[in-house]
Amino acid sequence: MEKNYKNVFKQVLKNVSQLCLLLCLLLMSTNRLLAHQQPVKTIKGTVTDEKRLPLPGVSVTTRPSGSGTTTDINGNFTIRTTSATDSLRFTMTGYTAQSFAIGSSSTLKITLQPDVRQLKDVVVIGYGTSSKRDITGSITTVKADEFNSGVLTTPAELLQGKVAGLNVTKSGDPNQAPSVILRGPSTIRSTGGAMEPFYVIDGVPGASIDLLAPADIESIDVLKDASATAIYGSRAANGVIIITTRKSKVGQNRLSYNAYAATEKVSKQIDMLSGDELRQYLKSNGQTLIPVLNDDGSNTNWQNLAERRGYSQSHNISYGGATVNADYGASVNYLKNNGVLKNTSLERTILKGYINQRFFDNRLKLGITLTNSHTVNKDIIQQYVLPGILFYLPTVSPFNADGSYKEFYSRTGSGTLNPLSLIDNNFSNNDNNKTLINGIAQVDILKGLKFTLTGSTQKDQNNYNRYFNSASGLAVNFGGQANRTSYLNTSTVVESYLNYDREFGLHSLKLLAGYSYQQDRTNDGFGVTTQGFSNDNLTYNNLYLSNPTSLSQIGFDNNPISTLRLISYYGRVQYSYNSKYLLQASIRDDGSSAFGINHRWGYFPAVSAGWRIIDEKFMQSVPAISDLKLRAGYGVSGNSTGFNAFSSLLIYGTPAGNAKFLYNGNITNAIGPVRNDNPDLKWESTATTNIGLDFGLFKDRITGSVDYYIKKTSDLIYDQYPVSTTQYFVPTYTANVGSIKNTGIELVLNATAVASGSFRWKTSINVAHNKNVIENLSNDKFTLNFFQTAQLGGKGQSGNYSQIVQPGYALGTFNLWHYLGKNAAGVSTYQKADGTTTATQPLTTDAMIAGNAQPSLIYGWSNTFNYKKFDLTFLLRGVLGNKILNATLAGLNNPVDSKIQNIPRFTLGEAYTDINAYLISDRFLESGSYLRLDNATLGYTIKPTVPAIKSIRLYLSGSNIFVITKYRGVDPEINIGGLTPGIDNNNFYPKTRTFIAGISASF
Amino acid sequence: MKNIYVLLIAVVITLTISSCKKLDVPVESQYVTANFPVTSSDYAALFGTMYTNLSSNYAITYWRMQELSTDEAIIPARDGNFDDGGQYRQMHYHTWTYDHPYVTGIWQWGFGGINNCNRLISLTNASQAPAASKAASLAEVKAMRALYYFFMMDTYGNVPIISDFPVSTLPTTQPRAKVFQFIETELLSIAQQLPSKTAVSATNILQYGRPTKAAVFALLEKMYLNSEVYTGTARYNDVVAMADSVQKNTNYSLDARFRDIFLPTNGPQINETIFAVPYDQQIPGNQFTRFGFFAALAPSYGFNVGLSIAMSTTPEFYNRFNLTGDVRNNTWLNGPQFIPDGNGGFTNQPANYPGTTTQIVITPNLILIPTKPMDLGNTTASQAEGVRSIKYYPDVTTIQATRLNGNDVPVFRLADVYLMKAEAILRGATPTVVNGTLQTADYLVNRLRARANAPAVSGITLDLLLDERARELSWEGWRRNDLIRYGLFEKDYPLPNDNLTMNKDITRRIFPVPISEIKLNPNLAQNPGY
Repeated sequence: MEKNYKNVFKQVLKNVSQLCLLLCLLLMSTNRLLAHQQPVKTIKGTVTDEKRLPLPGVSVTTRPSGSGTTTDINGNFTIRTTSATDSLRFTMTGYTAQSFAIGSSSTLKITLQPDVRQLKDVVVIGYGTSSKRDITGSITTVKADEFNSGVLTTPAELLQGKVAGLNVTKSGDPNQAPSVILRGPSTIRSTGGAMEPFYVIDGVPGASIDLLAPADIESIDVLKDASATAIYGSRAANGVIIITTRKSKVGQNRLSYNAYAATEKVSKQIDMLSGDELRQYLKSNGQTLIPVLNDDGSNTNWQNLAERRGYSQSHNISYGGATVNADYGASVNYLKNNGVLKNTSLERTILKGYINQRFFDNRLKLGITLTNSHTVNKDIIQQYVLPGILFYLPTVSPFNADGSYKEFYSRTGSGTLNPLSLIDNNFSNNDNNKTLINGIAQVDILKGLKFTLTGSTQKDQNNYNRYFNSASGLAVNFGGQANRTSYLNTSTVVESYLNYDREFGLHSLKLLAGYSYQQDRTNDGFGVTTQGFSNDNLTYNNLYLSNPTSLSQIGFDNNPISTLRLISYYGRVQYSYNSKYLLQASIRDDGSSAFGINHRWGYFPAVSAGWRIIDEKFMQSVPAISDLKLRAGYGVSGNSTGFNAFSSLLIYGTPAGNAKFLYNGNITNAIGPVRNDNPDLKWESTATTNIGLDFGLFKDRITGSVDYYIKKTSDLIYDQYPVSTTQYFVPTYTANVGSIKNTGIELVLNATAVASGSFRWKTSINVAHNKNVIENLSNDKFTLNFFQTAQLGGKGQSGNYSQIVQPGYALGTFNLWHYLGKNAAGVSTYQKADGTTTATQPLTTDAMIAGNAQPSLIYGWSNTFNYKKFDLTFLLRGVLGNKILNATLAGLNNPVDSKIQNIPRFTLGEAYTDINAYLISDRFLESGSYLRLDNATLGYTIKPTVPAIKSIRLYLSGSNIFVITKYRGVDPEINIGGLTPGIDNNNFYPKTRTFIAGISASF
Repeated sequence: MKNIYVLLIAVVITLTISSCKKLDVPVESQYVTANFPVTSSDYAALFGTMYTNLSSNYAITYWRMQELSTDEAIIPARDGNFDDGGQYRQMHYHTWTYDHPYVTGIWQWGFGGINNCNRLISLTNASQAPAASKAASLAEVKAMRALYYFFMMDTYGNVPIISDFPVSTLPTTQPRAKVFQFIETELLSIAQQLPSKTAVSATNILQYGRPTKAAVFALLEKMYLNSEVYTGTARYNDVVAMADSVQKNTNYSLDARFRDIFLPTNGPQINETIFAVPYDQQIPGNQFTRFGFFAALAPSYGFNVGLSIAMSTTPEFYNRFNLTGDVRNNTWLNGPQFIPDGNGGFTNQPANYPGTTTQIVITPNLILIPTKPMDLGNTTASQAEGVRSIKYYPDVTTIQATRLNGNDVPVFRLADVYLMKAEAILRGATPTVVNGTLQTADYLVNRLRARANAPAVSGITLDLLLDERARELSWEGWRRNDLIRYGLFEKDYPLPNDNLTMNKDITRRIFPVPISEIKLNPNLAQNPGY
């Protein structure tokens, strides 16, 4: 059945191309028929813009015969007309088209007025653009001038708080990409960005966002619903973010310089006791610290020792130009972002150049873009340092008298390694070099019919190096341990597609048919760990000089080369009648080698419709309403992100942990099945229904939109699906099971609140509500009532789970012991499964469901004020209704262990005898709601009279200026991505407060 | 006309490019069905999975189910540490549930192992190897499968019998007696195809850690000794017969030094080992030192790795080590500690807490904190409560990252063969003459006592024999099996300030079928009482 369906589709595609062909031939012949000989007249003229500056690149066409030319660099044109010609039509993107009756004149002066709406409202929709008025799906466009400012490295950060339904969470770690979730999690896989939106950069699907310098970005389009994203088929279930970089416009000769310097500081610390306070606390409870080893009389603030003021700087030089036939540009971007924890930093250099040239009367366009991004991430071993700076005793000094790091390895508890030594004696350095070469060939075959062929290859070379030196507490007696890995990932994409755009009277038709081929080859390389160096001076640079004393001291990475191939056929029809009734349908047939041999191809159709109510006659009687459009769409998209080439195969391997056996006196690798094969593994599919209303009031002084959606993913893939070992030899299986649903509503309001003389206040608010629920975890073959996640460890809690994935509940639902307050002796008590109270540690079976990590509301409010040459913007944003498990505080809240580890001020409120205070329970499940003044920027623009300088803008900006929250941890912006969202477990790189001074100048 | 050319070129390009719709990408860096198994090394490596699976859980999780549920070993909490969701105290008080991590883990271990064996059988049958080598391979796999089945039958009682792969329908629970019969039939059918221990060390090295004739006989001896528990029918004369089958091969003999059997260097040179699970710094799964040794003593024993303070034995069990001169007493650490002399004894140099002049003193009693469940507290003194074992002597090559022992762990050894035979005789079987000597129960026990330098016994009883098994086989994973056979599995050993009590229901003699497995296979029946 599947196969038949496929054949039918291919046939349809073939027919579409044939139809196009036929249509073209027909149109050509009509052209020929009309072009019979007529008397000739030559008309000259100049086209200028509203400022009377020459406008090059304007297309000039004769009516009705349709021959044409374009204006040159000085806005001049010459056109030969026949007597049959009655008018000339002047068109250019961004300007209102104008027609001019020829009459007797032979020299014309034409002025084109910019089309404000069109200029703003070009929306990139995937293999094409559209004007906002014609859009039927849910798409949010954010232009460069609306981006967040700050020390930002990824496009998602530019959008944080600006797009309804886009939830971005980011810690202060310069090396940590933010987690991005659009309209709630729609998969239960979290590897390889399976929950993240899909990025398309200048038409290259899946290009790395590391290639982007924020200053080079012109606009970002966020495609939210399946009717908009389905054209990207299998990778679009989490939404698509399309990024368009700056290009030169015809006649432009631009040079710009953007730079800023920033200083960052930790915005909040956890209030731990000082050495003296801890000594006093213990004394008042009749306790003492082991002298010297646990108390040398010091008062050490480990958080201060690990933290610093981070200085960052960014420079961007961009230049380019465009003539009628060619455009080119280049940019250089440098960013150094020093983290607020010592020895953490990101340094990135991006070089970019492009050139596009047109030939044969602009009918053929050839272009090539080269981008190189080189990033160096320096990092510390965060999983030890972050808990260490909290737990480690403040009563000991970081150094011995001889200057060596003071250590007491035999101390038990959670603060066993000197945090400063951890920072200074262990480091990692990741060197990443990405190069993207992107070529395009575009042929205007006929009027309205365009063929595009693009090819791109992205090479991503990643070298990770780590060294624990001989003084490291993580490699005691190792004589230094070095780890080097080097991997090359290559991605090749070829896209070829035909666009056909025509208007026939009141009918407008846009057709698209295309083919895409992508091959990703990842993990071509190796990694080695070895140890035993004579000294630490060479760190990881010469592994040959290591001296491991046994085989187990050498390790090789298990990272097999994985080659994935994706092949797609796609087509789209957009039809509108009188720009009033809009209809769009698309289909994509995707094949991926990741899936089981029986189910490699998947269909992703979408249909949507729009009704521009405002253009109906009856709306003329309601003058207050200046725009009104109803949109509705349904579509299915897939999610193939996060798979490797082996997901559905039977793999023989050496299982990590117990790979070896004794064979004839030799220790030998056993090789056995490590993965059950699943020839039926198929696509997850996400069906979205979206209904939206766009409106404008009072001559669009107020605009806005409301969207309601139902997003349901079925055939969820879970790669740890438990299966009976009475049937399989590996207890987990990668299978399609169950479904997850997100329903939500999004509201956006934009208003020009004040526009009087030189003062203007524009404000925009967006609010999104989403409800996530796991519908079921079973299919016809397997049944599963729930599975548990989030093993957080903690004293005496190894193996306990803190979250549960269960039908009827949201992803990220907490399953915790229920805290019942203190008993008479001051000991924390908990509820057992049978309802009774216990003052001893409960069992895992006593855990109960207690709220979830999904916010019920996320919102952002941005404001822009302009007064003469000043501009001021600020953004308030926040979330409501989510829960955070503050496992950090739970672990710290351990009065009994205060002899071996520090306690926070919070614990002073606990009885010393509370032996259960530290247990992870719903007592530490806190509200994650917050309101943050995310950003405020004050700018001043100088427009010098010197013609060489167009403008100079100076600005001051502050990020994370304040946050209002009840959350007791460092910051409530806890990672919301992945399978276990909303958990703060000693792993939170502190959030920062940033101040920036910047300049942006254009010449 | 130009238009047409352009159009044609575009169409040709489109069609050429879009003609590629092949999704088969050759796998270049993994062993998959297309490229494995091919060579004889491949098959050897594939067979290795039976052994890596065995070593992965035998000496920790499986061992803990057999020992923490008895008086032989205990992991008390230390001020909340090592409570770990109550999993150790549930073992101690027999209050485990059908979702206890060991209950789930060992089921998956056993049936994963069985299905893997079944898979190996079908691969072997399909291979091009000569008939003789096929038969030898099948015997090896079936012996290992029988061993896994024995573990499952002993631990869970009623389990499904799966003998083919792939498994098309979800299998159904079979009564324990039927599983017993299946294992017995299998073992008897393959015994003669397995190799025997020889006097040639090269052969023994090849056979080490793999099933031999004697291993099958010892396993059958164990099954017959417990036959009454498993099937309701006693078969003590069969026990004697199997013990004698083992002894027929005179290449098995008691080693002179008891200590050597368990050293990190143990291996094929140990003459009394019949079947052992080999461990090494590269073969993980043995962490007796990590859990059962005393952390502060590590420097005194010549290594510097952070250890747990967790596992010890109970005072009741330790009190059985009361024979004067018995070298087996030296497997325990109790009282003031001294630096070892490297030869199984101690110097008179005190072993101190690191960086101090305070001598380490281990105390045998486990005195609980009144309000906490099976918790000793975490003071220096309470850390030193509980007699520690150095039977699996600390492996000084251990490293912090893995904290492994390289000591191989015996499953069957000649001493057990002797003791099982002695017990069968005490339970009514007829003593037999082996290699010219009449082997009475006293004779068999005294062979072990003589080796241990312990006083000889005369007129041994069943109760004394159980104590002898405790002395000889402590921490070798048989205590639960022994106590159930003796009907003493429900005898409790209360600790001072105990606020929990043992569940003495005899349904605890077999573990529950994990609930996760019942959910995944509705044809599995839960054991009574759960």
